[in-house]
Amino acid sequence: MKEAETNSPSNSMTATAIDAAPTPMSAVRQLRPSALMRAVFREERFFLVLSVFIGIFSGLAVVCFRISIDWCRIYLVGSGYSPSPTRLILAPTLTGLVIAVLVIHVFPLARGSGVNQTKAALYIYNGYIPIRTAIGKFITAALAIGSGQSLGPEDPSLQIGASLASALGRIMRLSRDRMRLIAPVGAAAGLAAAFNAPISAVLFVIEEVIGRWSAGILGSVVLSAVSSVVVMRWFLGSQSLFRIPPVEMKQPGELLAYALLGVIGGLASVIFAKGIGALRPWCKAQPRWTQYFQPAIAGLLIGFIGVLGAPQVMGAGYEYIDEAMHGQFTWQLLLLLAGLKILATTVSFVSGTPGGMFAPTLFIGAMLGTAVGGVERLFLPHLTGSPGTYALVGMGVLFAGFLRAPMTSVFMVLEVSGNYSIILPVIVANTVAYVISRALQPVAIFDVLTRQDGLDLPSMEEQREEDVIRVEDAMRAPIRPVDANDSLGAVLQREDTNSDVLLVRLQPSGWSSVTKKEIETMVNEGKADLTLGSVLATRRVPFLHPDHPVEMALRYVDRYPLVPVVNRADFRKLEGVISLDDVLEAYQPEVG
Amino acid sequence: MLLAGLSAMAIAGFLAVAVLVRIYHAQQNSLGERWFGRGVAELKTQRFDHAAADFRTALIYSRDNFLYQLNLAQALIGLRRGDEAYAYLINLWDQQPEHGVVNLELARVAAAKGDTEHALRYYHNAIYATWPGDEETERKNTRLELIGYLLKTGAKPQAEAELVALAANAGDDPAEQEQLGDLFMQVQDYERALSSYRTSLKEDHGSARAAAGAGFAAFELARYPLAQHYLQMAVAENPSDADSARRLKTTDEVVRMDPFRRQISAAERYRVVMEAYEAAGDRLKACGALSAPEQNLNQDWAKLKPNVSERGLQHNPDLVNQAMELVFKVERQTAANCGAPTQIDSALLLIARLHEGG
Repeated sequence: MKEAETNSPSNSMTATAIDAAPTPMSAVRQLRPSALMRAVFREERFFLVLSVFIGIFSGLAVVCFRISIDWCRIYLVGSGYSPSPTRLILAPTLTGLVIAVLVIHVFPLARGSGVNQTKAALYIYNGYIPIRTAIGKFITAALAIGSGQSLGPEDPSLQIGASLASALGRIMRLSRDRMRLIAPVGAAAGLAAAFNAPISAVLFVIEEVIGRWSAGILGSVVLSAVSSVVVMRWFLGSQSLFRIPPVEMKQPGELLAYALLGVIGGLASVIFAKGIGALRPWCKAQPRWTQYFQPAIAGLLIGFIGVLGAPQVMGAGYEYIDEAMHGQFTWQLLLLLAGLKILATTVSFVSGTPGGMFAPTLFIGAMLGTAVGGVERLFLPHLTGSPGTYALVGMGVLFAGFLRAPMTSVFMVLEVSGNYSIILPVIVANTVAYVISRALQPVAIFDVLTRQDGLDLPSMEEQREEDVIRVEDAMRAPIRPVDANDSLGAVLQREDTNSDVLLVRLQPSGWSSVTKKEIETMVNEGKADLTLGSVLATRRVPFLHPDHPVEMALRYVDRYPLVPVVNRADFRKLEGVISLDDVLEAYQPEVG
Repeated sequence: MLLAGLSAMAIAGFLAVAVLVRIYHAQQNSLGERWFGRGVAELKTQRFDHAAADFRTALIYSRDNFLYQLNLAQALIGLRRGDEAYAYLINLWDQQPEHGVVNLELARVAAAKGDTEHALRYYHNAIYATWPGDEETERKNTRLELIGYLLKTGAKPQAEAELVALAANAGDDPAEQEQLGDLFMQVQDYERALSSYRTSLKEDHGSARAAAGAGFAAFELARYPLAQHYLQMAVAENPSDADSARRLKTTDEVVRMDPFRRQISAAERYRVVMEAYEAAGDRLKACGALSAPEQNLNQDWAKLKPNVSERGLQHNPDLVNQAMELVFKVERQTAANCGAPTQIDSALLLIARLHEGG
């Protein structure tokens, strides 16, 4: 219902998605259990093989996408390093008009974040992403990035991969469970090929799209990411996006300098995120006819920035990251470029121009990092970190602060630099940036965009940070357990507690429970001399540990009136007991 | 069946993309070469800013191209953006540490930054590196550049060591030998300088520059008759050479005023001693207010004066040494306190150094 009420382009997908969703394992369910298991395992293996094909097709698509971006750049802006002012202004402006028409009339799903659309496919549309989205994203993003809009190719690549995977899944008539997972598999492949970094892509998809580590999906994600990177390297070579300079950190004291970079990067991330978060709804709220001009106006503004002396902010900007890493810019220019890139990317993105924010994030991080490194070296000339080291750490900082993917941010820098010695600065700076960004901008940018689109997708960050209620938070103090060697009669005479349920410690191990009423019934049946152990030997009660999440208790408390909570080191030692009422009470404040 | 279909699609996709990538790479290479060509032309005309932009563009199409990066670094050096050039050069050095041009450019960047340690290291690397084209010439030129740098930084002993190494491999080319001679002069290795000039003169007898150089070197070595010979040759070849003419005058005076030179008659020797003695007396008189040592010397001079005559000298040949000893003392003492010496005083000072050292 919620989808029907919103105007989000994503939501027009709903009806189609439901219609087009494959019959979910209906045929499989009609099989006998053994046949069902065989079918499931066959599908699991087939899914792994399919993941390789998804990787191959995504890799091929990303290669074509990169070439298209380059061709667009050459034919729209020119092949030179310093294009003419006329082209700088006209190329993004006029292309912006074309993009607007395409996005509004032909490819309405091409706008927006690919990450969120992949998540929507996973959580809402049973893995369905129309192939038209991939085609639209390919064409419009290539035109946008090639013409100089300040956006990156990674997010579109991710979505192209997810869309291709979804199409393949439909062709292969996968079950609903597999279909749901197929979009993230394709997303990992697309992102890996775009970044030329399979580990980061796998981590990002796990961290930001799927949100959990699952053996079932991990194999497929890894296989697709690796195969797409192999294809990409086959055609375009194995060189990374920028030349990696020597990286070093000789003195531990320099970590303070990197911590400062973390602070500045965290603040920049917040400004960037807040800018997008505030301007995007405003742009969307403008009359519909203005949407034809928004990408063009963004292009015009970026063109002016280029003409006024900062053409570096146009396009993805990897060649300038490379130059910054090699000390080609002064710190003043680097700061200016970082600020202008935030501005340019914000206007490009909020105007609805298709394209991603990964490359701009890396650009801003690299510029900011190198600038901070340059300033710090002015005052502390003994620092040994090269501009390249600061640039790499800066990229990680923005990744952690803006995209809020802390794990990916660390591994991305490691994977891109191929140098383990950078790990300490990266961890320190990224953690600082992440903490500052979380404190000042509680909702991560992807979640902000999701909510603006009227969707309610699970927030991976919130899931990560969610307080887990544990058994120890819900359990009661232990009651005195009854010994299994006691006779029923003796127990009945002795027990005078208020509790109707007694816990029985079985020999040599294990627990059981019995109600007083049951004992009375058995005594009345003439079994007073029987021991509790002999009567309850087959009525074992499962037990829990204090650190278990309380959800685990829910599995048992409806079947057993009282579940023992025992020590992990000594299963006979009772730490507490838990019942359905205790669990409900523990959830009470959360609900309230 | 499904897998076969997928495989067929993958193969078809591979083939199609392979064709596309081939076209793409061809275009990229062509654009890279075109922009590189423009950059080289700009570099030749020393339009470094245009050249740098062209090489940067070329690098967009072939990011790891060694030649493009090297040329960009050279353009940046031309723009005096040493730090940026260094960033490119050090990457190239990582790839090819034995590349002569890269080492030489790194040395130049380090030299411009005043980083002598690295400059020397890269210059030496460049000397022993591999070079495209004529390796020997490139190495020799690099060593010459290193010597120039060492002289500029005042490191004469190191410069001399490099010069000796350079001279060891030098041919008989007169121009080259003249250049070596000049450099040896700068490091004050006059013996080797003289040798180089003489080698040059063997091949090119009429070289006024080599003759002048040899004359100056011989003069510094206090081999005045030889200096006189070469300086006369230099002035004869190039009468407008005022330096040589001036030095020749002094040399002539030294040769004329030296009473200890060989193949001189006794009468001539006495005449020279008397003239020198008179000059020393004049120098003391011209000095004005005399310090205590000068007053002592004045008294000694006055005391000995009656004996310093042709007759006195004939009568007592030891007086030649005694008189000249006093002359040398006077010239040495007055050189510091009594203003600029006359030409004859200068000659006497040089003779004093020649015979008494110091």
